[in-house]
Amino acid sequence: MKARILNRADVLKVIDQLRGQGYEVMAPFLGRGQDSVFDVVTSENRDQVQIHVPNPYYPPKRFVFPHMEHTMTIHKEADGGLSFEPKYEAPKRAVFGIRSCDTRGIYHLKRFFMGRDFQDIYLGLKRENLFLVNVVCTDRDLDIGDQCFCMCSDSGPAARENFDLQLMDLGMDEFMAVAGTPAGEALFAAPFYRKCTQAHVDRRAVVLEEARKKLKDATTWFSGAVRYVTTGKVSEKTWQEIGNRCMECGGCTFVCPVCTCFTVTDREVAPDEIERLRVWDSCAFSGFTRMAGGHNPRKAVHDRRNRRFFRKLHHYFVQRELSVACIGCGRCAEVCHGEIGMPSVVEIIRRASMESAEQ
Amino acid sequence: MNTSAIENVYLPKVAVVEGLNDEIPDVKTVHWSLVNPEDQKAFVSSFKPGQFCLITIPGKGEFTLSLPPSPTEGKTFFTLRKVGVCSTAFQQYKPGDKFGLRGPFGNGFPMESYYGKNIVIVAGGIGLIPLRSTIVYILGNRDKFKDLQIYYGAKNPETLMYADDLKKWEKGGAQFHLTVDSASPGYTGDIGVVGSLFKKYKPNVENTVAFVCGPPIMFRFVIKDLLDLGFKESAIVSTLERYMKCGVGKCGHCCVGVAYVCADGPVFTYEQLKRLGEVI
Repeated sequence: MKARILNRADVLKVIDQLRGQGYEVMAPFLGRGQDSVFDVVTSENRDQVQIHVPNPYYPPKRFVFPHMEHTMTIHKEADGGLSFEPKYEAPKRAVFGIRSCDTRGIYHLKRFFMGRDFQDIYLGLKRENLFLVNVVCTDRDLDIGDQCFCMCSDSGPAARENFDLQLMDLGMDEFMAVAGTPAGEALFAAPFYRKCTQAHVDRRAVVLEEARKKLKDATTWFSGAVRYVTTGKVSEKTWQEIGNRCMECGGCTFVCPVCTCFTVTDREVAPDEIERLRVWDSCAFSGFTRMAGGHNPRKAVHDRRNRRFFRKLHHYFVQRELSVACIGCGRCAEVCHGEIGMPSVVEIIRRASMESAEQ
Repeated sequence: MNTSAIENVYLPKVAVVEGLNDEIPDVKTVHWSLVNPEDQKAFVSSFKPGQFCLITIPGKGEFTLSLPPSPTEGKTFFTLRKVGVCSTAFQQYKPGDKFGLRGPFGNGFPMESYYGKNIVIVAGGIGLIPLRSTIVYILGNRDKFKDLQIYYGAKNPETLMYADDLKKWEKGGAQFHLTVDSASPGYTGDIGVVGSLFKKYKPNVENTVAFVCGPPIMFRFVIKDLLDLGFKESAIVSTLERYMKCGVGKCGHCCVGVAYVCADGPVFTYEQLKRLGEVI
């Protein structure tokens, strides 16, 4: 991987380069208060793009797997004819400022949707046209949230792969740029990228160590929980305790950068035309597994809540996808009203297993 | 990888209804074929007993139906009960009406691995629909299997499925045992739950595979009966039914423990079902 140095004042020029290449660039902006959001960069708002900013709740997952996607149009013809017309939308798009955890999220989505026997062309086309500029979380106050646990899920603070370009604030008004792909490296042709010295590399290590120190406060017992779930050692009582705190809002699954479940719904837009949409769905909802006729194999709320953590923590799925369905971003913990985001669930499993070991 | 060359697995093919016939109250069989003859040929030569399809009813939605025909028959049809929006609309179809079809999906029954074995079929109610395929397949390859014993239970004599087929199967070399929960006048056969037939008409156990399909409550009792008879957990196979939206292991609705029923199933041995990590 090649690395270069650029001045703080030149960082947003990366966006200009990408826009010049025809990319629609999404970047983080600050809303009112501390809310942040990925939005399209225009000539007007370009200077408001944030480098150090709390990670937006609404995950960048939507750039490969939109929360609502028109997948095909069904045509009913007057003579009784029927046809299906697929709709593909895969804009040439770049995400500037995607966090290390979220780049792992995009990777996981690709592993899941493009893996095994069937491949998902909708996600595949979008991913192919997506350029990722990862910004490493180095600001202890702005970048790193109280619920972040990327150290445990091994996805941060600095991504090692799955980006086209990585930017890292080294302090002293300097940023390090690392190319992850030939397309990322091609950007180094511009004159504002300078040579990287050993002193820069050393400083990178110091900055990263500082970020890790801050993240250490939020480490969880992730791998232990994986072992307990995989070996079936989490008791029904513990799952019930977790389930009892779930309010079935579905928030955790909708802010999750790696939750993949969707539903499909058809809507009539004209007498002879039906749109088929795929929409994010959540295993928290009671209708998620309900079949025609009313039979529901997962009636109890803890059966459903159990599902999310089982899916994410069971080693079988890790082996199958060679990727973990939790990236340690902490979003579920931020939004959960019942305090059962991933870190608390891991903590509950840890506590329960300790108690049962003592008995 | 050339992404644009990937086949769109969500895109249905167009099929046309050829005819409908009533089975029992609320249950109908819909005969159909794919509009493109090449597709139809490919479909008939590729599907296996125990697989399923996703059907698009334009304006209503997409839903899952198991495939009751056997590949040895050369016919394509679905048998469905009127329960939800899609099945109700599908039953009102007329010959010539068109619908969308994706599939066949799922692992199906590994019929080749049961060559040389006795087969016991245990079906309850419309649980016979997915098992019909295996019965016809076995009768079509009669020399490859040993005894075929069918135990079939229904609510009452009026709700026995595939009335014409039942007679044919008996003539074709299957031992056939029927039972109903409640008899109606003129019925002289057995009465009771399907498991009660095992005491009267002993099923084979040695070198035998049992196929079980029916409502959840019947399933639990039959499994217990079979285990008591001496069946190994790996010699009991069943097919699961779940809400599905994609059929290709992506949408997540059909997950049971570590398995996606659509892609890893719907056919599982009881041994596998016990290890999925979720109560079925």
